[in-house]
Order: sequence, then structure tokens, then C-alpha cells
Amino acid sequence: MEPRASQCAPALAALAVFAGVAGSAPTDQAVTGQFEKSVRPLLQRSCYGCHNSKVKSGDLDLVAFKTVDSLGGDLEAWEKVATKLADGTMPPKGVPRPPQAEVEATSNWIRGEIKRIELTSKPDPGRVTARRLNRAEYNNTIRDLTGLDLRPAEDFPQDDSGYGFDNIGDVLSLSPVLLEKYMKAAETVVKTALSGAGEVKPMAIRAQPPGREFELFPQARSDYDTSGLSMPNALHAMMRFPAEGEYVFKAALEGRRPTGSEPVYVGIWVDGKQVSTLTIDAKTDGASIDLFGAQAETRLRLPAGEHWIAATVLRIYEGLPSDYGGPNPTRRPVPPPRDPMRRVKIPEGATPEEIEKIRKEAIRRAQLFRVPANRVWVHWVEALGPYDSKIEPPIESRKRILTCGHVDGKHVTSCDRTVLSQFARRAFRRTVTAAELRPYLELAASARRDGAGYEEALGVALQAILVSPDFLFRIEKTGVGSAKGPQPVNSFALASRLSYFLWSTMPDDELLRVAEQGGLRKAPVLQAQVKRMLRDPKALSMVENFAGQWLELRRLESVSPDREKFEFDEYLRMSMRKETELFFANLMREDRSILELLNGRYSFLNQKMAEFYGVKGVTGPEFRRVEFDATVPRSGVLTQASVMTVSSYATRTSPVLRGKWILENLLNEPIPPPPPNVPLLEEATIGAAASLRKQMEQHRTNPACASCHAKMDPIGFGFENFNAIGQWRDKDGKFEIDPSGTLPDGRNFKGPEDLKALLMGDKDRFTEAMTDKMLTYALGRGLERYDRRTIREIAGRVAANEYRFSSLVMEIVKSLPFQMTREDHASEEGKTKI
Amino acid sequence: MTVITGKHLPRRTFLRGVGAAIGLPLLDAMRPAFAGPALPKAPVRLAFTYIPNGVTFKDWKPATTGADYEFTRILKPLEPFRKDILVLSGLDHHNANALGDGGGDHARAGACFLTGVHPKKTAGADIQAGVSVDQIAAKGLGNATRVASLELGCEDSRTVGGCDSGYSCAYTNSISWRGPQTPMPPETNPRIVFERLFGDDDFSASPEARARRAAQKKSILDLVNSRTQKLAGELGAADRRKIDEYLTAVRELEMRIDRAEKDQNGFRPDIEKPAGVPVAFADYIKLMFDLQVLAFQADATRVTTLLYGREASVRTYPEIGVPDPHHPLSHHRDLPENVEKITQINTHHTSLFAYFLEKLRSTPDGDGSLLDHSMIVYGSAICDGNKHSHENLPLLLAGRGDGSIQSGRHIQYPEGTPMTNLFLTLLDRMKIPSEKLGDSTGRLEHLTDL
Repeated sequence: MEPRASQCAPALAALAVFAGVAGSAPTDQAVTGQFEKSVRPLLQRSCYGCHNSKVKSGDLDLVAFKTVDSLGGDLEAWEKVATKLADGTMPPKGVPRPPQAEVEATSNWIRGEIKRIELTSKPDPGRVTARRLNRAEYNNTIRDLTGLDLRPAEDFPQDDSGYGFDNIGDVLSLSPVLLEKYMKAAETVVKTALSGAGEVKPMAIRAQPPGREFELFPQARSDYDTSGLSMPNALHAMMRFPAEGEYVFKAALEGRRPTGSEPVYVGIWVDGKQVSTLTIDAKTDGASIDLFGAQAETRLRLPAGEHWIAATVLRIYEGLPSDYGGPNPTRRPVPPPRDPMRRVKIPEGATPEEIEKIRKEAIRRAQLFRVPANRVWVHWVEALGPYDSKIEPPIESRKRILTCGHVDGKHVTSCDRTVLSQFARRAFRRTVTAAELRPYLELAASARRDGAGYEEALGVALQAILVSPDFLFRIEKTGVGSAKGPQPVNSFALASRLSYFLWSTMPDDELLRVAEQGGLRKAPVLQAQVKRMLRDPKALSMVENFAGQWLELRRLESVSPDREKFEFDEYLRMSMRKETELFFANLMREDRSILELLNGRYSFLNQKMAEFYGVKGVTGPEFRRVEFDATVPRSGVLTQASVMTVSSYATRTSPVLRGKWILENLLNEPIPPPPPNVPLLEEATIGAAASLRKQMEQHRTNPACASCHAKMDPIGFGFENFNAIGQWRDKDGKFEIDPSGTLPDGRNFKGPEDLKALLMGDKDRFTEAMTDKMLTYALGRGLERYDRRTIREIAGRVAANEYRFSSLVMEIVKSLPFQMTREDHASEEGKTKI
Repeated sequence: MTVITGKHLPRRTFLRGVGAAIGLPLLDAMRPAFAGPALPKAPVRLAFTYIPNGVTFKDWKPATTGADYEFTRILKPLEPFRKDILVLSGLDHHNANALGDGGGDHARAGACFLTGVHPKKTAGADIQAGVSVDQIAAKGLGNATRVASLELGCEDSRTVGGCDSGYSCAYTNSISWRGPQTPMPPETNPRIVFERLFGDDDFSASPEARARRAAQKKSILDLVNSRTQKLAGELGAADRRKIDEYLTAVRELEMRIDRAEKDQNGFRPDIEKPAGVPVAFADYIKLMFDLQVLAFQADATRVTTLLYGREASVRTYPEIGVPDPHHPLSHHRDLPENVEKITQINTHHTSLFAYFLEKLRSTPDGDGSLLDHSMIVYGSAICDGNKHSHENLPLLLAGRGDGSIQSGRHIQYPEGTPMTNLFLTLLDRMKIPSEKLGDSTGRLEHLTDL
């Protein structure tokens, strides 16, 4: 039996000895007494019927746990028992439910016992498997190493992801194809850094969105977005420009305008600013002006990199014939309207009433064939270039790399050592020994002997550094000397943990220096560094890489909501994502309470999003903070369009998906996959004869499905007022939406805000959920049973710190698994996943 | 051509050894040793080139048939290839007609061109056409080449949804169909085509520079290899698994470089790896032709399709004085000015096709040139863009199909001859006989006789 450990947070120094298996503490009389007197009898009455060695329902045999001590053998199972009892999923319908007081007493007893056993077991910091840099980390690291934002990883294959993130050491693999890409990237990076980028030849980049459906209006409107940005007639695309330079922009239209209309003016916008206006005109074919393929072009200077390009129809309701009723009608001659009766034959002997009827019908038909006021849209945009691309001499990158006095070409072979050791130190993110450096020096020397020039040879050694496992992997060695058990990660590894967690890139000079001096082990120094790093713009990488994966915002790029059913377009796609990113970034920057992710009554909107949400008074493409009044039924990220969209199918909402999404991402309750051979909902029949809700309720009568669906479905149905792209609705097809429901524990709610308030009541669960996700991301490993305690402790301290974002980050950084590591167990047995 | 090597390597053995690493040339080593002029039979290649929106037929069709016909305005650029081409007149695509489905001739033309099937009218996901002749050929050739077939296009085809009067864009995007519901979207980026054929290597450098670079790569990998081995010894099980994976990749790459070196005297594409889509249309099309020539030359594939543009393309041609979008212009309403512009576009297109033929003709292949061993169909499934007619299609057949085609003539077929009969005849020459394709009624006559 192990000596009883301290009840306080683990003191780092005290962890000299380590036991891998949770030991159980001596059990006192009172505990045993309660187990025998009330817990076991309840289990016997309500659970043993299914959870015995024969039936083993859910792979669980509770009969086998005969004594209190035996609980320690499978805490995982007992945690589940406590949870399922408490939230009402168990015992299932059909089995009599014991009085609530007894159920609560039992589940509380189990939880207390788990906690007690956990506290007496040895803390385990876990072990993080060597992590290969993922694509984002590779790009950023190359940028910080060379000062060049080359993004070579965009050519790399997609990273594998696990536990919801793409920075998990165990999961990230390395194929020969990827190594080939690394070799190629190293060559390009070194060549560009030392000699500058070669000339970029002009190329064509084209954006042509899918065909779209939008409402056509026969008459002009007066109150509308004259910039066209938020109108369905515009084209929005992210375009990547290989180099700074002049580009020819071409835009082509599709659609028709009434004969006599003025030309169409197309605005070209770069990152939300209008930079040009194209005038596009075409001839009438008699009936109307056919604009299909009509195009115009302009020349623009653009910086390199990815930009949001928009081409919009400006003032779409102006310049039309005056009978369209729009502002500033055309000054061109409009042919007189054709006589609607010109092709109509009036039968002989028709009465005046009949003639009038025929005339009305003819006018109606003429109206029907009249070109609608907004039937014109941007078909495609093409950028050709760069022409006269600006080629920067590689001054900055040469300065960073050639640290030994030959920036301007004064070559000294003896400089190899200085240059390579300094580059390797930064690339490997640690000090490099002379012995380690030797092969690289020899490589440069031998390349020179084989005829390479001074810089070419040095470049070969630099390339070798960039494909070395010391650069590509973050490996944390343990067991130095006699230490076998938990031990602090070394300072350099800690610095890298910090920088890849907060910045998704290598440590900067200051962090590396502090690590070198051993300062990161001092609490005030560590805290000051974390604060500094959170203030740095590089911390915004957490928005893209942490929030983007936790809230699944990255998936927005690939979702394709049915455009016949929903008013979805590329601008909405971009705006949705931006809204949530800005919300999260603001929360970080202002160090707000993480609970605002659930209940913040504000958001960041542009005109497109504001109109989508029905919020008045927001005009223009810029996003700005908007406070929600009582009429806006939204708060936090949960009811933002982005989250509602990624938790839906392309054609309809799915209460199951949404419920699952919320349970897994916000309440830390993973849902197991459905059992095999369960019939799926027949997609074609959904919403036809009965509401989706009715059909789901039938589906739930299958007991194999009931226990999970009883959890997921009510939560999902609570948000049914938001359609598959997050737009508010009162009806689903012909059926009124009923957003009320009952959670498995019996609590009722009337609708989404009500449900959110209930979820808010579980502040601890949400905080633990977010801690769980962020800890996974920070460590780069899946969490284990033994991390539960850390999660609870962190969540508790975050609560005590008003739920501040920075306190969550700080507590993770200070936590046992972040600070410590241990030897890699040869055997992976005995590990249980959360 | 001289044969130097003493050892005869069967081609299949060689392919197995090389894996999928690089372009697969007909190496000298694979030719029978001392076999003299008895070279292995060069394979027959099959290519289809599609031009959208029909042609000005009066400026296309030669006035007389037989060998001594006079080249029309549109065909004039091909006169240097008189001996290498057949002008085929009178072939129809009956199934591209409305047949009760109303508008949508462009969509039907695209979908029918190589399938001969009347496509199902739908703008949704339930598209239905037929298997196209190129895909039948590709399937029939099996794994003879590394890439079964190349589908190329010069207009971005990301468009989904409806494109032409209630027809899915899939019908205009692709002329190549692997199955009735599976269109093969054409690749429009020359860089990706090049990489698919030849991998990531930089072929633009001199042989000396390439050799030096290969040596440097090897010494980098040597260094990394020994560093990684040392590292692996210092790590626990899970870390070592990761590092071992890395080590395996290093060794694999070393082997690939070794193999590539052995191929030094073998095939090397004579163009630089394209950076992307060229700005000028002529350069774009020429690059797509170059890639097809390279693919044939390296025997990386034997079947290709290329779309100059999708049906109903609205490309403008300011470089030849036609700034108007092609499709609206093709509805010329017999206005002489518009008809003239369409003829100019058509002529521009054939002059670019001449570039392809010239390249094929000047590339030696087995006992002749690539053109001798190819069969290239050029044309459209719309005759006159103004009328949307699918009879009397403007068609050319270039190349001699390894002596199986007697070119140099203009042939007039009887009214109502299905174009699909031509396809069956071409498949015979690929040694992939097929009994039926779309609305075919039999083999097309007269390709070999006079």
C-alpha cells in the first residue's frame, strides 16, 4: 500500500516516486457501512437485472463489484454509473425508478468515493508522444525562422486529427510523400531566404461560385444595400495571390436587364474595401439586354497572400426604365412597351366582359415575361497576374540567417560554425552541442568540395537542419540520469509547449533566452511570459487553431447547405466564420469570462450578418460589436449561425446532431456511436406526414436508442427554431415548431433561451468541457482517466477567478500534465480513455 | 535509333520495380538487346478535343470529297497536315436532340459527345448519361499505363447546380464519363496535370545541376538517417514508433532517388513544370497540348480528352479581335458581322490544334511519329451554334492509328449515320472491340478504303 498523499495540489518536487496504477486507500468503517446498507441494495433492486455477468448490458457487470475496495478497479465504470443515475438515463423506462432522494444519495456516494480514491492515487502527468509540426505550425515556424511568410505547407497533405485536433502526437503520421514535400520545402525556403524569390510568372486565378437561386423582384426596391455586398447578386471568394504585383481583374455577368437600362456598374472589393468600378454593357436582342458573358476588366496592385475578393452589382435598382419605379431611372431611350394584345386573337362575337378578361390575361402574361428588376449577377471573376511582380531582395532573411558578417557577400568559410549553430539553435528550439553540429558542418564542407559555391554549400546544411527530426518533431526526452517517474519537462521543452500552445509557432528570442537561463521554472517569470505571449498578436493563432477546431468553424469551409432551400452564399459563409472568430478573439483580448461563450448578449456583425439575424442599423462590410436587445433571440456562440450550420445537415436540421454537438463540445459528454442495425430515418419521408419531432419520438421508442437519444434529442429540439444555416424560423415546412422539452433529469424548458439558462446552471460542466478541450490542444495528446482530477482542479480555479479566459490559460500552463512528463511506459495496457 | 544495352528487361518487371515514383519512359534497357530495327510495337493513342458552340458550317465543310478537296477557311491552318487528317462529314448525334425535353441543347451536346446517350434532364444530383468512349478505352487498356486516362479542360468547372435550361452543370463540365452517373471532371490546372504525370521533380535544371542536386539530397538524407537512428535509441516506445515511421520514410526516399538516378538516360519532360494557368488562352491550350504529347511520349497514358471550353462557353477572344463572349455571339442570327467573328474564333481554334498535330508529328515514337500512332477526334456535338443542330457535326480525325487509318481525305457519310459508329471503329483499332455504344448501329466504313 502506498503512503497517503497530500490532499493539496501536487507539489512538483514531491513526485520522486511514481506508481502507474491507481492504488486504493484503506477503507474506513463508515464508508463500508453505507455501501452495504444503501448503495448495494439499490443497485441490486434497480441495476442487477441487466448488469450482471450473464446479460452484461452495456458491457457492464455490476454484480462483480462486491466490496467497496473493488470500486477502485474500474473507476471509469463507476463514474458512468453515477452520471447515468443522476441525469435520469438509468434505470431506463420500464424499470421502476427508486425515490429521487435515494438515487441522489447513491450517485453522490459514488462520486465522493471516486474522488477519495483519486486523491489517494499517485498523480500521473502522462506522456506526450513526439509531435510532428502540423501544417499551421510548420508555416508559422518557417515564417519566424526566416522572416518570410512562404507558407510551404499549403502543398502538404492534410494533417491527421484525433480527439478533435490536428496537433496530436500519437495521431500525426509521416509518409514518404510528406518527407518528399519537406525536402522540397527546405530547398525552396533556403533558396528564397538566401537569394530571394524567383520571378513569378503571370497566371490566371479564377473564382466561379456554384449556380445560385435567389428571389426575383419584378419591381425595383428603394431600401436595399446599394453596395451590393450583402446581396445574392455578388460574388465573394478567397483568392490567393502568389506575389505582390499588378493583376488584371476581369468580371463577367450573367442575367438580363430591361431594354433601355443603363450599363451595370460592378464594384471590385479587396478585403472589404472598394477599389474599382467596372462598367459593363451589352446590346439588346429586342426583348431585353442579354448580359450572359458580358465582361470588363481593370488593373489593380495587390499584396501577396490570401485576400477576400468581392465583385458586386452596385446600385442594382438604379438605371432601370422608369416604370420599374427605382431611384435614378435610366436616361437612355426606352422603347415603348409592346402592346400585350399584339399576338392575341379575340374570338368573333366575344362579349366586352370576355374581351376584358382576355386583355387582363394578356397583361398578366406580359408582366410575367418582363425582366425582373434584379435579374443580373456576377458570373465569375478572374485575376491575371502578377505583372511586374515586386521582387524583394532577401535582406531581412539574410540578416536572420547569415549571422556572421557576410550579409553583403563577404564569404568566410569559418563562419559556417556561427551561422549553423545559431540557425540550429532556433530551428531545434534548444541549445545545440558541438558534437551535434559537426555533421552539418561536414555536410557544408563536403558540398563545397563537390563544387558547390559558398552559399550553396551552406544552404545544403541549412536544408538538412530543416528536414532533421530535431526540427520537424518536438521530442521531450525523459529519464535523464536516474529519474524514472514524473519529472519536470526540461526548460526548452516547456518553452516550446508554451509557444506552440499560445502561438502555434516556435519560441521567440526572449522565450528561448529565458528558457536557456532556467527562468521558466520560476512562477512569476512563467506568469509574466504567459501574459506577454497572450498580448502578442501571434496569440490570435488560438482563434484559428483552437477555437476553429473546438467549435468546428474550420468545417464551415466545406459545408454545402442546399441552396434551393436556404439563402446561403459565399459571403454568408465567410461572414459566419468571421463573426465567431471575432467573438472569440475579443473574449481573449479583453480577457472576458468564458461563460460569455454561452450567454454573451452581443456579437460582431457586418450588414450581411445583421440582416441575416434581423438586427437593424448595421450597414457596410465592416464587422463591429453589436449589443443585442430583447428582440434578438441569440446569445453566445451556441446560437451563432456558424455553430448552428456545422451542427446541421445540408438539407435540414438534425436535433440529434445538434444535441450531440452541444453535449460533446460544450458539456463534455461524448456520445457513443449508434448500435449497429438501427434503421435510419427515411430522408424522403421527413416532414412529409408528421413533423420531424414526431418521427424522432417514434424512433426513440426503440430501447436500444432511447438512453442516448433521451439526452441528445431534447437539447437538439430546443434549438429547432434555428434552421440548418442558423436563421430563425417559427415553422418547419408546414409544422409549427415546438422548442420545449424535458431533460432526462426531469427539468423542463420552453425554448432555446430557457434551455440555455438550464445549461448555464451547469457552469462547472461547461468550464470542465472547455478545460478538457483546451488541455487536449495544449498538450497534444488525448486525455486519460488520470487527467480528470487536473481538469476539475483547473475548472475550480477558473471559477474562482471569475471565469477569466487568461485564468484558464494560466491554470493549464501551471497544471501537472503541462509542467511535467514521465517515462514512456513500454506497455500501453491499463490505459483507459475518457 | 541504336540499341546499346546487353540485357533485356521485360517492361512489366521494370514497372514493378519503379513503383509509382516517376514518369515511365521506354528506356533503352527495355528494348530487346541486339534486336536491330525490330522495335516493340508502339501503342495506339486515343485523344478527343472538344470545341464548344458549334462552327460556321459553310466555312468548315470542304466543297468536294475524296483526296483533293480544297481546305476551307476554318480548316486552312490544318493544310500542312493534309496527309494526316480525315474530314468526316454527315455524322450525327441524334441523342443530343431535345426528344421532347425542351431547351438545353448545350448541356445535351456536352453529355452526348462521347457517350452517344440522351442525358436525363435534371439540375439535381440524379444525373444520368452513359459511359464515354474514352473511358471504355481506358478501362480496356487496364493497367497498361500509370495513368489510365487524362481529362483536361480550359475552363474552371467548379460550378454545380443548373447550367443550361434545367440541366446539371455536370453535363457541360465533363465530356468524359466513367459511369452513367460518374462524370470525370476535367483538370484545368496544368501544374497539377504535370505533377500527376511526373511528380514533384524540377526538370528545368541542366543534367549536371540535377546530378549535383541529387547528390546533395542523398547526403542530406544520409545525415538525417544517421541522426534519426541515434535518436531512436534514446527514446521510449511511443516516441520511437514515430521516429521509426520517419526513418522508414527517409529510407524509402533514398531508394526513390537511387532509382531516379538510374533513369538519367531515360525520359525527361522537355518543359518546365507549369506554375499555374497561363494568362493567354493560346498559351493555355498549347500547354495542355504539350502535356498530352509528354504523356504519350512517356507512355504515362494512352487516352486523353480536352475541352477548349465547356458548351455555352462565354470566353472572349480580344487577341484575335473578337471581344464578344463566344456563346451569345454564336447565336449570330445570320448577321454577317457576327458570323464572321464566329468563323474567326473557329479558325483560331484550328490553328491551335495545328500546333498539337505539329508536335505529335515531330515526336519520334517507335517506328514512326506519335501522330502515326494516334487517333485524335476534333470537333463539336453542335453543328451550327445559331440553330443548335446536332446533325452534320463538324468533325476531324487526325493521325493514322498505327497504319489502320488511311488519312488525307474528306468523307461524306449518308444522312443519319451515328457518330457513335466512329467510336466503335476507333475502339476496334485500340483492340478493345465493343458491340454497342449509345445509339450506334455498326462500324463506320471507309476509314481505310478509297
